[in-house]
Amino acid sequence: MPRLNCIILSILGLLPYWGFTQHNCHATLFGTVTEEGTEEPVPFAEVFIVQTGQGAVTDDKGRFVFTELCEGDYTVTCHHIGCSHLSSEIKVVGETNLCFHLQHESLNLSEITVHAKPIELRSMQAQQSLTGEKLSAVKGQTLGDLLKTLPGVTTLNTGGSISKPIIRGLHSSRVLMLNNGVRQEGQQWGSEHAPEIDPYIADKVTVVYGANSVRYGADALGGVVVVEPRAMRGEPGMGGEANLTAFGNGRVGVTSAMVEGKMKGKLPLSGRLQGTLKRGGDQRTPDYFLQNTGTKEINYSAAIGLEQERWNTEVFFSQFFTDIGIYRGSHIGNLTDLQQAIEQGRPTDDGSFSYKLGRPMQRVAHYLFKAKTALKTGTAGAMTLQYARQFNRRGEFDAHKRYGTLPSELENPEMLFEITTHTLDLAWEHKSWRHFTGSLGAQGMAQRNTTDRGGLIPDYEGQTAGVFWVERWRKYPFPLEFEAGVRYDVRRMDVQNRGNEVIDKQLNFDNLSGTLGMVYIVAEQFDLKLHWGSAWRAPNVNELFSDGVHHGSASYEKGRTDLKSERANNITLTLDFDNARNWSASFSLYRNLIQDFIYLKPQDKPVLTIRGAFPSFAYDQTDARLTGFDWNSAWNFAKKWEVSSSASLLRAWNKKADDWLVLMPADRFNLGLTFSPKAEKSKDETGNAPYLKMGIERVFEQTRTPENVDFAPAPNAYTLVNFEAGTSFRVGSRQSAVGSRQPPIHLTITINNLLNSAYRDYLNRLRYFTHEAGRNVSVRLKYSF
Amino acid sequence: MKNFKFLFAILALNALLFTACDKDNGDDNEGELITTVKLTFTEVGGGSTEFTVKDLDGDGGDPPVADDITLKANTAYTIGVEFLDESEAGHIHDFTEEVQEESNDHLVCFVASGAISAPVIGDLDGNGKPLGLESAVSTGDTGTGVLQITLKHLPEKTNPEPCSTGDTDVDVTFLVTIE
Repeated sequence: MPRLNCIILSILGLLPYWGFTQHNCHATLFGTVTEEGTEEPVPFAEVFIVQTGQGAVTDDKGRFVFTELCEGDYTVTCHHIGCSHLSSEIKVVGETNLCFHLQHESLNLSEITVHAKPIELRSMQAQQSLTGEKLSAVKGQTLGDLLKTLPGVTTLNTGGSISKPIIRGLHSSRVLMLNNGVRQEGQQWGSEHAPEIDPYIADKVTVVYGANSVRYGADALGGVVVVEPRAMRGEPGMGGEANLTAFGNGRVGVTSAMVEGKMKGKLPLSGRLQGTLKRGGDQRTPDYFLQNTGTKEINYSAAIGLEQERWNTEVFFSQFFTDIGIYRGSHIGNLTDLQQAIEQGRPTDDGSFSYKLGRPMQRVAHYLFKAKTALKTGTAGAMTLQYARQFNRRGEFDAHKRYGTLPSELENPEMLFEITTHTLDLAWEHKSWRHFTGSLGAQGMAQRNTTDRGGLIPDYEGQTAGVFWVERWRKYPFPLEFEAGVRYDVRRMDVQNRGNEVIDKQLNFDNLSGTLGMVYIVAEQFDLKLHWGSAWRAPNVNELFSDGVHHGSASYEKGRTDLKSERANNITLTLDFDNARNWSASFSLYRNLIQDFIYLKPQDKPVLTIRGAFPSFAYDQTDARLTGFDWNSAWNFAKKWEVSSSASLLRAWNKKADDWLVLMPADRFNLGLTFSPKAEKSKDETGNAPYLKMGIERVFEQTRTPENVDFAPAPNAYTLVNFEAGTSFRVGSRQSAVGSRQPPIHLTITINNLLNSAYRDYLNRLRYFTHEAGRNVSVRLKYSF
Repeated sequence: MKNFKFLFAILALNALLFTACDKDNGDDNEGELITTVKLTFTEVGGGSTEFTVKDLDGDGGDPPVADDITLKANTAYTIGVEFLDESEAGHIHDFTEEVQEESNDHLVCFVASGAISAPVIGDLDGNGKPLGLESAVSTGDTGTGVLQITLKHLPEKTNPEPCSTGDTDVDVTFLVTIE
């Protein structure tokens, strides 16, 4: 029986080291693995230090190396396919030799399945994700509210049920959303137009901060939100998940269920069906109800996939429908009404609870169809082709139907916008060549926008085409990695009619985008990233052609047809630390310089209409400078305890007006304390250990506001206390199909605004009229099978 | 296998729905705007005079143009208020009747200063509360003043100050001269 002889030589040496590591932690352990008898080197043998989690694979001469070890006792294991697993205790002091004798377990090796995972590429950009337990604990809320738990992300709200993410001060058409790999093409231009995505579809939600246009296309000046469903089922069989969520405030109920399966045999088709129902009524502030703030949502999706050795294909379809009530008192007729409403600051009576949804209201539908095929071309790399079609319809019902509405049209919205978008993406990811990996691609988009009612914006057709090329240089284990990318886009807009008015104008925009990134892996647990991104955005049709009183905001907005594209140049420095045991931290410092930043500039004279006077704003361009930092950390300071913190600070300056920019998030801090009675560490990978968490959220008053732009000063600072608890269990002795390690039922209880504080948030467009919602107790039950 | 047939059926159904949901190229109904407020002052036992505020191009563009109201001193008048859309030449829409039909949801408010006093509402809505399409005023001595007329939608008519509730559909101001 052949034996493998592993010889490990260890040598301690002094190396320059970084201050955060422990005392005497600059040892290097290296050695070679050879076969006994022949003394031939053994490549691809795995050597692993249990205590530190460090692993190494021997090279073609059988060598391996570990750097920056602390002095002490270690368990080192050595393993090679077909050999027994052997471990040895070793005291790393001075020079130490160690030899493993690995024995073949069996000569009759049958089939071996290797589950390999590549070493994760460190992203060059600052990014944060919500997955697992953290995502489960916030599901049932809108996508915006769910993202708000990440540092640097706030929301722009219209009441309690419409929220859209603000990434480092930028939102709406400056934030790009990727829903299941498809660029979301909805009605993101409006600040009261929430993303048309069912959060229950997501298994992972990632925010990529900063200008980032090379891969995803124009517009991503502030960042990208990536919503990813879970991968199609790999094992043959059936499985699924059911979610029940209830919120006390607004008496909201949400049910979401998913079933998936994969067939056995020659045609390994996999499929998934998912659906969500949501119904909520009037929300309540600590002192009164907010009339007409209920919601209704029906969403579902279906997917079919087929994975073969050389290629895979997937077809996905989803529909999203929602009705959202808007607080009645927020739809005002003119400036006098607005002033009266601000003076009053709340509804005249306390009201009572109702599920009734009436005017004003939004009714939104979004359909997505996607077909994707990927082909592994062997030596050349992988090709992906994706086609998607989206249809979006947005109806807005005013508080008051228009005069002269025919009786047959009473149930119709006053404004109706529709967008149909076709996108085609082609990407080729080449194989590693001289330490370069990268991809080349092309994207095309054709879009038709129609405004069937309301005449706020004109009908238009848009076409976009772009090509990109990104390369990354990585020579593992060399500690520096580089990335560079470039993209070129052309965008054409053919603007037709607004109502009965003929505009007939063609607009063309073309621009380059670029990215340069660098990661310096200072140590296994610590890396430093420097990233520059340049992105652009063509003006939106509302910025070009608006001409009228803006719905609900009591201001007259006028577009400008000669607006140029915006250009962002964004530099970010990020330090990520994670020792994989008991603490992690991320610090990100950024500066985003935006040339020709499009904003609403207040005008001297109000506009007089038959409804009275309205303050007047015109779209204009300036140069903006956004500087800030985001911080988050988690520390297991004792066996069952974890303290976490996050902070976001931003300074946003309008350089031409020499003043602050309006509607920018105020500084905020979060502090949390988690107690996990059963877990050794609260960082339980499965996220199933019971836990209790108390959190404090402090939002400061926004004192940096421009003059003569807003109707009322920014509201006061506020502090909220939140509570969260979660656990997993099984009922009876039934084994879950997922595996015995994962209990099938997961329960989460959260209480937001535990102290029922009355407060207003600067970034809520309805802050003039109402307070924010009061205490909200929610219960979430998830069953996996 | 059954499940997959079901999945396919759903997808096929979707494909049908999907195409059906394409843009319906309906007429561009923009709704109607009030462009004109017409006041008819009728001398009790005498003739009548009309005064208007017009903003024919809608919001923005040219501002509304108001006639100056000229009234006789020490005379009793009844006032009729009308709301019209005159944006299309030769095609006038009258919304007064619509206000009358939904009288419970509407209120015409008057604010006066200077030589004219606020008109007294003479008509009632379906609940016996004031409406304001018809009102009366008696002028005093000569002088000048200002008369503001607002049309409120969904006011709280039980509120002690109903004119400071609801939202405003019309808010126009006339200069008044009493000769």
